Amino acid sequence: MRDVSKALVGAILVFAAYYLGLFAVNIMALPIPGALVGLLILLGILFIFPKLETHTARFVTLPLKHMSLLFVPAVLALSIYWVDIYENLLAITIAIFVTTSLSLGFTAWFAQKLFCSKQHKESHSSQVGRELE
Amino acid sequence: MINAITQAFSVNGLIWLCVSVVGYLIALWINRKCNGHPIAHPIVFTAIFVFLSLYLSNTSVVDYQQAAALLHWLLGPVTVALALPIYRQWQILKRYGWRLIVSIVLGGIVAPITAWFALFALDAPAALKMTMLAKSITTPLAMEATAHIGGIPAMAAVFVITTGIVGAIVATGVFSLFKIEDRQAQGIALGTVAHAIGTAKSIHMGEDVAAMATLGLCVNGIFTALALPLVFSLFV
Repeated sequence: MRDVSKALVGAILVFAAYYLGLFAVNIMALPIPGALVGLLILLGILFIFPKLETHTARFVTLPLKHMSLLFVPAVLALSIYWVDIYENLLAITIAIFVTTSLSLGFTAWFAQKLFCSKQHKESHSSQVGRELE
Repeated sequence: MINAITQAFSVNGLIWLCVSVVGYLIALWINRKCNGHPIAHPIVFTAIFVFLSLYLSNTSVVDYQQAAALLHWLLGPVTVALALPIYRQWQILKRYGWRLIVSIVLGGIVAPITAWFALFALDAPAALKMTMLAKSITTPLAMEATAHIGGIPAMAAVFVITTGIVGAIVATGVFSLFKIEDRQAQGIALGTVAHAIGTAKSIHMGEDVAAMATLGLCVNGIFTALALPLVFSLFV
């Protein structure tokens, strides 16, 4: 019973954040998605009230795990744009295959460089700390 | 919302929701049988199953979209629910600080810009170029963002999923080619460039890689979905 009430609180939180986000975007005429503002609102609530994490998790874990099902109506709409895709197939293939591979390598290489410099810094400061002891 | 619920409780709505769920369950079974290989992503087989059902029953995609409007509407609240994984990764984000943010933002800029230039060089239509800008973020955010910048949300969903599958398949080869031995860096790149499908791949590589991939996925999703409409509204 407690699980159900926790899930209910989680549901109220998520839907309240979602509609607040839509409301804020409409009222302020923001050029960003309302759901994204809702996400930031929910994130803020979780930081202010960390105890609500379990309530939110109780409600969102299942939909997050099976999110793929929700994309089906949108993916099927692709058949409407099939002619556009077919006419630009080479460009799309290059844009997805080549640039994804390059971006993956470049991002990892750059992150590795930055993380290595942090590890060097941490090992250097712990060495200095030991010397001071 | 009211329209989506009304449709869901109509006979047509119930039938097509059931077909979608059955298709998804079959797709999950196939995915398990293939050991979670990226090509066997559940969306691929669910879409094929529903498409075949539509073809056999002589139903149009537009009719299906109306009947299964509840599924599409739920994308909004599920996008909000992404706040939970971000909240849970906050400690790691604090530990790596600006280094992590800079890596993710750089990956979040390089991936869409290079894809945009590839389409630009090959003279693709503007709507396709705009849609491609959201290819590296998680599907619900990509669909929301493309709707705001003159792209095509349906196409965004397909580009995002294809990007994820490609990223997950080439990751091992690319990391060895670029001599990437740092597991955290591998995780960040997978989550940032190949979003949720890359994150699923990172789970097989280890918990530490998966934690970083989740961060890449979440931070890049927010960054791109915020930046794209803002930049678009400023310059276009």
